[in-house]
Amino acid sequence: MKATIGILVIGAGLFVSGARLAGHHAFSSEYDENKVVTLKGTVTKIEWMNPHAKFFIDVVNPDKSVTNWSFELASPNSLTREGWDRHTLTVGDAITATGFAAKSGKNMASTRSVATADGKALFGGTQGIQ
Amino acid sequence: MKKRLLIAVSVCAATSCLAVSVSGALAQQGTEGGRGRGNRPRVALDGPVPRYPDGTVDLGGAWTGGGPVQDMEAQGKFKPGEIPLLPWAKKLLDSRTPEDDPHAYCMPMGVPRQAGNYPWRFVQYPTHTKATHIFVLWEGNIHSFRQIFMDAKHPADPDPTWFGHSIGQWERDTLVIDTVGFNDKFWFDRRGHPHTEQLHTIERWTRKDFGHLDNQVTIDDPGAYSRPFTTTYTAILQPGEEIMEYICNENNDYGVAGGFR
Repeated sequence: MKATIGILVIGAGLFVSGARLAGHHAFSSEYDENKVVTLKGTVTKIEWMNPHAKFFIDVVNPDKSVTNWSFELASPNSLTREGWDRHTLTVGDAITATGFAAKSGKNMASTRSVATADGKALFGGTQGIQ
Repeated sequence: MKKRLLIAVSVCAATSCLAVSVSGALAQQGTEGGRGRGNRPRVALDGPVPRYPDGTVDLGGAWTGGGPVQDMEAQGKFKPGEIPLLPWAKKLLDSRTPEDDPHAYCMPMGVPRQAGNYPWRFVQYPTHTKATHIFVLWEGNIHSFRQIFMDAKHPADPDPTWFGHSIGQWERDTLVIDTVGFNDKFWFDRRGHPHTEQLHTIERWTRKDFGHLDNQVTIDDPGAYSRPFTTTYTAILQPGEEIMEYICNENNDYGVAGGFR
């Protein structure tokens, strides 16, 4: 419970402080800060690796087809500092992810925030650069 | 832990001794092995400068900042155009884009660049007598180190390298690091300020108080700049913070896999 509260508080603080976290590459080269997507889906995979962790979600489209989206996160060291660990999201979790869509038009985004089914708010921390 | 700190404080009546004790305590009460900021000790960043028993300034602690990241001009408080770039260097700077930054290819940052909010440390060897070596350990980017040979001389013709050849000496309470022998591959900042192999840097690191470390750096590169120029960046102590692992090239999308140019 303590851990949950900690994550919530850290997440809330980061929404205020803006680009506290950063990846190492040029955000602007890959993602469009004016193109925000919010998607509900089910986690299918987590890649806890450098220089950016990622998670993947299956999103059910209006026509019932399913699209798999990848959401890029900050690096594991940065995420750890903000209360994440490799178990924070697990396969099968129902989440709502918000991020900046890829300029390429591929089904991928740089994560801004994640809301879990039980109400946790998590900061993704990839906008900007290190 | 509390008991140990109390004993240390009661034994150390002198201010400098107290500073050493607090510094030592910080190292121990930290962060569950470096897992973040949840357990940060409350420390007065404007407290006294810690020192080793021989009186030398202790530069220990996890720092962030102390060098340019995004734009050497803006972060160094230069007026636009004030940095004396030679025409060819100005042209090169203007042609560069962040996508081509060697840093994004997981290459070292060189000098004097720092990596945003990833912490780094000065570590001296030996610790409690006159140092022969001082190392800079970086979490990222990249997860690397730099070494400073204390009271030594530069070789006559050092091979060009990413961090160059650094010699250091104390001038009163300031660690002065003189570096030559750089390659020309790294950028001073994400904006792309360039340099040549003629680069010579002089860093003057002064711990102003417990939590602030000034780096007054002079960049002298007659190959790219018409005259030497100097500015100061300040590193901020991150109490309780630890260096974590950050291996940039593990799965770099456009780095090592594509090859650094």
